[in-house]
Amino acid sequence: MGALDDLKVADFSWVGAGPRATKDLADNGAMVIKIESRKRLDLGRMSPPFAPAGRKNPDASAFFAQSNTSKKSVTIDLTDPRGVEMAKSLVAWADVVVENFGPGFMDRIGLGYEALKAINPDIIYASVSVAGRSGPMAGFRGYGNSAAAQSGHAAMSGWPDSEPHMPPFAYGDVVAPMFLTVAILAALEHRDRTGQGQHVDVSQIEPMVHVIADLFADPALSGKPGNTHPLFAPHGVFPCRGEENWIAIAIETDAQWTTLCAALEAPEWLRSSDYATASARVANRERIEAAIAELTRDLDKVGLAARFAAAGVPAGPVLNGKEVFENEELRAAGHFVKCEHPVLGPSMMPAPPMRFSDTPGAVRRAPLLGEHTLEVFAEMLDGQSERVEQLRREEVLA
Amino acid sequence: MNMLPGLRVLELAGGLVDFGGRMLAELGADVLSIAIGGTKRPHAETLAWHHGKTRIAADGIRPAALKRLVGEADVLLDDRRVGDPLGLDALAADNPGLIHVVARPFSPDGPYSGRPATDLTLMAVSGLMTIVGDPDRPPLRLPGEQAYALTGIQAATAALMGLRARRRTGRGQRIDLSAFQSTTLANYREAIMYEWTGRIGTRTGNKLVRGKSGVRQVWPCADGFVTWSMIDNPSMMRSVVRVMSDEGAAGELTGIEWENILVADEDQAMIERWQSVFGAFFARHTKAELGAWSLEHGWGLSVISDLDAVRESEHLAARGLFVEVDDEDAGRRIRLPGPLFRHGDGSDAPQRRLSHPIPISEAAWSAPS
Repeated sequence: MGALDDLKVADFSWVGAGPRATKDLADNGAMVIKIESRKRLDLGRMSPPFAPAGRKNPDASAFFAQSNTSKKSVTIDLTDPRGVEMAKSLVAWADVVVENFGPGFMDRIGLGYEALKAINPDIIYASVSVAGRSGPMAGFRGYGNSAAAQSGHAAMSGWPDSEPHMPPFAYGDVVAPMFLTVAILAALEHRDRTGQGQHVDVSQIEPMVHVIADLFADPALSGKPGNTHPLFAPHGVFPCRGEENWIAIAIETDAQWTTLCAALEAPEWLRSSDYATASARVANRERIEAAIAELTRDLDKVGLAARFAAAGVPAGPVLNGKEVFENEELRAAGHFVKCEHPVLGPSMMPAPPMRFSDTPGAVRRAPLLGEHTLEVFAEMLDGQSERVEQLRREEVLA
Repeated sequence: MNMLPGLRVLELAGGLVDFGGRMLAELGADVLSIAIGGTKRPHAETLAWHHGKTRIAADGIRPAALKRLVGEADVLLDDRRVGDPLGLDALAADNPGLIHVVARPFSPDGPYSGRPATDLTLMAVSGLMTIVGDPDRPPLRLPGEQAYALTGIQAATAALMGLRARRRTGRGQRIDLSAFQSTTLANYREAIMYEWTGRIGTRTGNKLVRGKSGVRQVWPCADGFVTWSMIDNPSMMRSVVRVMSDEGAAGELTGIEWENILVADEDQAMIERWQSVFGAFFARHTKAELGAWSLEHGWGLSVISDLDAVRESEHLAARGLFVEVDDEDAGRRIRLPGPLFRHGDGSDAPQRRLSHPIPISEAAWSAPS
């Protein structure tokens, strides 16, 4: 029994920002029916990496699979009015509709909030888009990194002496769906209390602003902090033995500093009372961090982190993709769940980071394209199986 | 119209759950917050994550008062680093309707259980730092404290899921939350890329590498920077080149049939040549000009805004993102992000202030449950 077992979601979203939110719901028990189209494939199905079947197989994308676990897939041609009618039958069934199409698309095909409210008055209609559905930039077409640019993230990323920085992943496509999940759950709670549905409109820019609210709360902030902290030092990344091996160390108390010095057998000058306080260490940040780097340079990052952890010093090896994938803690915690997929084969899918004592979630493989079309519509349109079959033959359900 | 009126949330705040409590407060919940851990935090963090809550002084926590608050709460957000010094498990057991979210750096029973961690060290182990920054310099974190923010959002999510389950079952439950997993979940590329290709991602600066070539993401313009990339979107590429052609600035780009190009498969030298033409065009125009063209023609180009520009954004003002907050500690008002998203008829504003901490004996819920 999952936490959201009785929740029904009609999911029109695609690529990253919408599907990651509906994955949260599906992995925790919600029935999420993903509405797709063979004519206009979810771009996520065309995104690498791919199983050996290759990019031409719509079921071979591991990117898609990991963002769409535990869902069902139906195919509908939304450019055909009969397809739109079938979509509306899903809306009538659902508690929640999710969409992240370009500006105005859902309205143009008759699936905007007002139209759907007429079908299902207490529907929760959840939208996520780069700039939101209102305001002067509501029509902006962009992608996850657009939100990094317009929220201050890009300007505040990178080294203090460098131009704005864009890491090679779309953080806006991560944070916005998490806000969308919260928005949907809060709207459900509100509906449970009042009986009223509503439209929740999540912009990718605004969540990105929220998660750096501490920077906006500091009017004196000038420039990019890099890895430094205003109150603590050492606070950074230090080289370890081998190529591209690093350890992050964050000393927050004087006791941790003393322990760090002992663990590294630091020279006497570093252990002196000159650096015994956080303010003294911050004032001499460059000097002491250079000295720490010399002490860690020939040590193994994993062993050193374990040694520091045992001594109570916050530290962590900088892990790469391979090390994350193989990490013992993540494996023990069930962070990756092995799913058998007809095209991908056995593959590891990320699980939610929380464990419910009474209503545990379950991660199941992502659906094949249109895998559940007949099953879903046969059930929904009970007694009309011939009509469903006809619509499939005529490629309305395709 | 608040979404969570009357919801009682008690928060033991040490970094991992703080933003989660802030989200619930923004949605209308009644949040009482006790700072734990004893480490001094920058005032900006306290202001950002705790406005809108009732703050309770950490000194002199009386067991009887804590027992009362836990007993009356719907949700307990419990940032737990080492052990259970306040005896919260026992107190929680006396409230069968309580949704008890226990956030730790790592899983409660895994090999890293009990390890100390901070935002920086969690970012390191998440696999995100290894790809942030320049190839010839050490790994970098993202701005702010993203491991804590991500964990906080998951704490709010867990609480709301627990609430929904409680409506069905009538019972609360315990929810264990790992900050390591919360942060790693944001790293949607690196582990899966290794699993399927054997490739290990590294820092590439501002170059986006896909396939055999890399494209630039950040471009200087006449008065700052914009972000845009050559991507496999023929209509978008044509749209940019069309405007360039009107100025006679498109050069060899005019003749390219973008439908027949796969950027990821192009030779890097060719990419660089094309990018030099785009770069010269961007350098001649201002952020405002380029941003307006992008909005009108769907270029996917964004102006890169610094914090002041974000604060002054007309768009964000129209959506009501920034709100005035009274900072009682500093005795001033400051504009901070307020609503999390737009919804319904809008929200009744929660209290917009960072209040002084009060003794736990004076702590009370502001509304009946």
